[in-house]
Amino acid sequence: MTVVRGLVPLWRAVLVGALLCGVGLLPWLSRTDPALTVLKARSAERDPTPEALEAVRSQLGLDAGPLHLLGSWLGGLLRGDAGRSWISGAEVTPAVLQALGVSLLLMAGALAVAVVTAGAVCARTLWLGARRELAGRPSAGTGSALLSTLPDFLTASVLAAVVGVQLGWLPALGWYGPQWMVLPALSLGLPAGALLGRLLDDMLPGAFAEPWALAAAARGVRGRSIARQALRRCVPGLLPNFGLFVVGLTGGAVAVEQIFDIPGLGRLSLQAAIAQDLPVLQAGTLALVLLAAAAGGLARLVARLLVGPALRDGALSSLHRPTPSRPTALPLLYGGLLLAVIALGLARDPQKLDTTARLQPPSWARPFGTDALGRDVLARVGHGALDTLALAVAVSAAAFVLGVVLGLLPRLSGPLLDTVNAVPPVLAGLLVAGVAGSGASTPALAVAAVAWAPLSAHTSALLQQERATTHLTATRGLGAGRLYLLRHELLPAVLPPVIRHALLRLPGVALALAALGFLGLGAQPPSPEWGLLLAENQPYAERAPWAVLAPAAVLALLGAVAVTAGGGVRWPGRARRRRSVKSLAAQPPATPWSSPAAQQPATTAIKESR
Amino acid sequence: MHSLPRRRFLAGLLLAPLLTGCFASDSGEASGASDGSRLRVALAFPPAENYSPYGADATLLSRLGVTEGLTRLDANGTAVPALAESWSRESDRSWLFTLREAAFQDGTEVTPKAVAASLTRATRAKPVTAALSGVELTAEAADSGRVRVTTAAPDPVLPLRLSSPGLAVLSAKAYAKKDAVSPVGTATGPFEFTKVTGTTAATLNRFDDYWGGRAQASGIDAKFIADGTARTNALRTGETDIAEAVPVSQAASLDKAIRRDTATTRTTSLLLNTKSGPFKDPKTRAAAREAIDTSAFAKGVYEGYADPGAGIYGPALTWAADKRAKPVGRAEAGGAEGTSVTVATYDNRPELPEAAQVLKQQLERAGFKVELEVREYSRLESDALAGKFDAVVSARNTMLDTGDPVSVLASDFTCDGSYNLPLLCDKTVDKAVATAESITDTAKRQDASMAAEAAVLGTDAVVPLVHQRIITGVGAEVSGVQLDPYERGLVGLGTRR
Repeated sequence: MTVVRGLVPLWRAVLVGALLCGVGLLPWLSRTDPALTVLKARSAERDPTPEALEAVRSQLGLDAGPLHLLGSWLGGLLRGDAGRSWISGAEVTPAVLQALGVSLLLMAGALAVAVVTAGAVCARTLWLGARRELAGRPSAGTGSALLSTLPDFLTASVLAAVVGVQLGWLPALGWYGPQWMVLPALSLGLPAGALLGRLLDDMLPGAFAEPWALAAAARGVRGRSIARQALRRCVPGLLPNFGLFVVGLTGGAVAVEQIFDIPGLGRLSLQAAIAQDLPVLQAGTLALVLLAAAAGGLARLVARLLVGPALRDGALSSLHRPTPSRPTALPLLYGGLLLAVIALGLARDPQKLDTTARLQPPSWARPFGTDALGRDVLARVGHGALDTLALAVAVSAAAFVLGVVLGLLPRLSGPLLDTVNAVPPVLAGLLVAGVAGSGASTPALAVAAVAWAPLSAHTSALLQQERATTHLTATRGLGAGRLYLLRHELLPAVLPPVIRHALLRLPGVALALAALGFLGLGAQPPSPEWGLLLAENQPYAERAPWAVLAPAAVLALLGAVAVTAGGGVRWPGRARRRRSVKSLAAQPPATPWSSPAAQQPATTAIKESR
Repeated sequence: MHSLPRRRFLAGLLLAPLLTGCFASDSGEASGASDGSRLRVALAFPPAENYSPYGADATLLSRLGVTEGLTRLDANGTAVPALAESWSRESDRSWLFTLREAAFQDGTEVTPKAVAASLTRATRAKPVTAALSGVELTAEAADSGRVRVTTAAPDPVLPLRLSSPGLAVLSAKAYAKKDAVSPVGTATGPFEFTKVTGTTAATLNRFDDYWGGRAQASGIDAKFIADGTARTNALRTGETDIAEAVPVSQAASLDKAIRRDTATTRTTSLLLNTKSGPFKDPKTRAAAREAIDTSAFAKGVYEGYADPGAGIYGPALTWAADKRAKPVGRAEAGGAEGTSVTVATYDNRPELPEAAQVLKQQLERAGFKVELEVREYSRLESDALAGKFDAVVSARNTMLDTGDPVSVLASDFTCDGSYNLPLLCDKTVDKAVATAESITDTAKRQDASMAAEAAVLGTDAVVPLVHQRIITGVGAEVSGVQLDPYERGLVGLGTRR
């Protein structure tokens, strides 16, 4: 055991080294001439004459080969010198450090927004839980599911145009002081917070149903304290994901940095990746990897501080929902709406251009209006559904399987997921394209290669707690083997929340797939793939909001279906009967200040579920 | 218990200066100017190479009125005096330029020796500046305030060439450092750099000893904002006075009074692969040409901020339209039915993918089957030059750094051309271009380049789609902005707020 633990830092170092080598070999992997991309990045209109290319090559010393370049860069790094940019010739270290500072600040702002958002999302559950009125309530959260699917560039465009320009309340661009932080932090923090809030909200009922909460309530401990302890009980399971957000927001806020003109690390590494400015790209990646290691370590430390003794002593109880959340008809409603939109769209022609009817507002003839080339947006949304959903579902499923399997092996996967998560999405795309070629499956591979990380982090965090539960000790004591424990105890406890998490991330996967389009990977125009629809209509977000809102709305609907379906589906007809049965079981209508007697059925429910 | 909040407050105070380090420093209003207000300019392209005058940043320097060369281009595309008062051709290979009395921004005088040294440095730059690509040039001081410039091969367009921003004249101080050339305080233009903040901002003050008089604005605060929407927003919120290159999609959000459009020398064309694939056959190329309706692009995609494609040269070259000859030797159209083609383009300019999609529809109406391939430019170019696509939609500046209209034909459409996307190798074209290259007289050279254009169009290797217009957002109170079709000027002596 200790041997394995000792190997973890080594494994982490190997991974970081492999990543840096991959970045250093990028042009040679993808067989693009760095001299050409560097020349074009310096001067887009320069003709690539052999003499000009030769001059760049000799200036950068490219002829010495990638290994020599990498070696000398690493050598310089030991002396604290990350080299000079291939484009501008300026020193890399100060540029990367400055961009990192900007990005960290932006990330801190976004996290503050995210924490507030997550708090708002969980407020209802905490409020009800503190009053022991949770049992039997269907989980809410359609709103947060919708919010969590909002693409950050859309929020950013809308905020910049409406709050920044039209209302003039806050500066719409630049990065000169605290008031410049508000809009970018909102655009990044709202979806992140909604997602974290959803995950937390998913676990809280379990915590409120634990015996200690019951005992505390019976002892007359104030609801607020119980709620606080319930939070403390649940937050460790989310901390790894929180850490991932920290890193993801630092290196991956490219769209927001562009819209608000923020000189952050995301933009810097994107430019460096496109221009193959390797010293900058390597330094940026290294900074992110180090940040990821620090954030991961910190998350583990805080988790240990919060539930450490209980983990060590195996004294936790399982965070099952006390009662399986009551199935609702909501997924049917949302799903029906989604299907209706798709069916209506499928009956129309998504490719017919009419440049005389561009950016037409919604009308009876074209309910979702037209896009910049006069195409019917409804038709495009409908026809894009199949491609988008099939691919996104397949990638999500693969990420889920990979995430769970690797989540079972935390020592192996911990450093791996820290490293993978630190790679900006575009760089991941380039690396995968370099290794696998730019085939049809490359974008799916590239996205799956990154998308497993949050699921895996979630899985291993939940597993760690689940392994420390008392009922597991009991089962072990009865002579259960490891495989039996895994199959009958651990997986059944861990899988449902992770599945709901994976569903929640489905729209994000669809967007990530589309974001690789500009590398020549993935869907190409005029395909009506949803991510592509969002991207191509984004410049017109202010003049023709319907053209972006329609694809964003269907993605949000997809998210809503995913979240509500996680709690089970109920046919409206059958449900009514069941509810009448329940009301016979003497469950009084819940009031905010219900009497202790009213809590009785809830407690029996808990006991039955154990 | 109550000490905790206080401690937090103190921690916050201590953190504050740390945090301000993480904000970009605002170039702010540099005060102290006695008269004339400062101009705030939002530029699209940040300096790529630390303001080196030998690359793309040269254009930036000339647009901000920092640098000048011996000559400059006027609206008709002829060379007119700048730092050189006059010039004469001594022989086939040698020219004499007479300098005017002028001073560098560091206070030293512009002498023939300094000019010769500056030009010599430009010839040694690696890679050499685009205007000197393939040219061997020597400069030396001559008597009575003159500079002799000699070329290895006869160069009839040398005065045009010297107008290139890449051949700006800088003082000896600019070359003090071994590996970098600095235009900060070493150029001769009406404005000089006082502060440069990385690639995000720059501050300039008026250079009071400029030979052409004092500029009306007391200085410039330049910001580099790469995103077109953000740049437009900067103008709309009043954070800037001039916004360069407003994207077509954002033009409608600006008041009519503050958006100015200028014809540019940029032409968007469909370039057909003449070496391999279906477009190797001239008949198929002719069928593609006939299938295309250029007005749909100018109006439908560029929202009127473009002129329908007439030829390789657009209306920004004022002389081109009158001299245009009918394309010669075009083939009969045919062979479109059922032919599958791949059309590639790039998305760095959002209009291009849109144009490609309109093009796809037009070609499909004529019977072609079209597959589109859209990538980031640097991911596309090498494949396009290698002929991996059947056609490429590309926007090209037809007036290269040389200032000579023939250059673009030579590099894009001749057998030895370095940027020959249609992979054209046609004897008639090569001959016509060679003829044009040998003519000295400006008007006759223009005639010959139009004849060469006709020869290129005759092969149907290129179908001009639109001639772009550039939109500049100019605040209501600003006057005197230079709207230069060659995109070399923006802020000048008479620009003010």
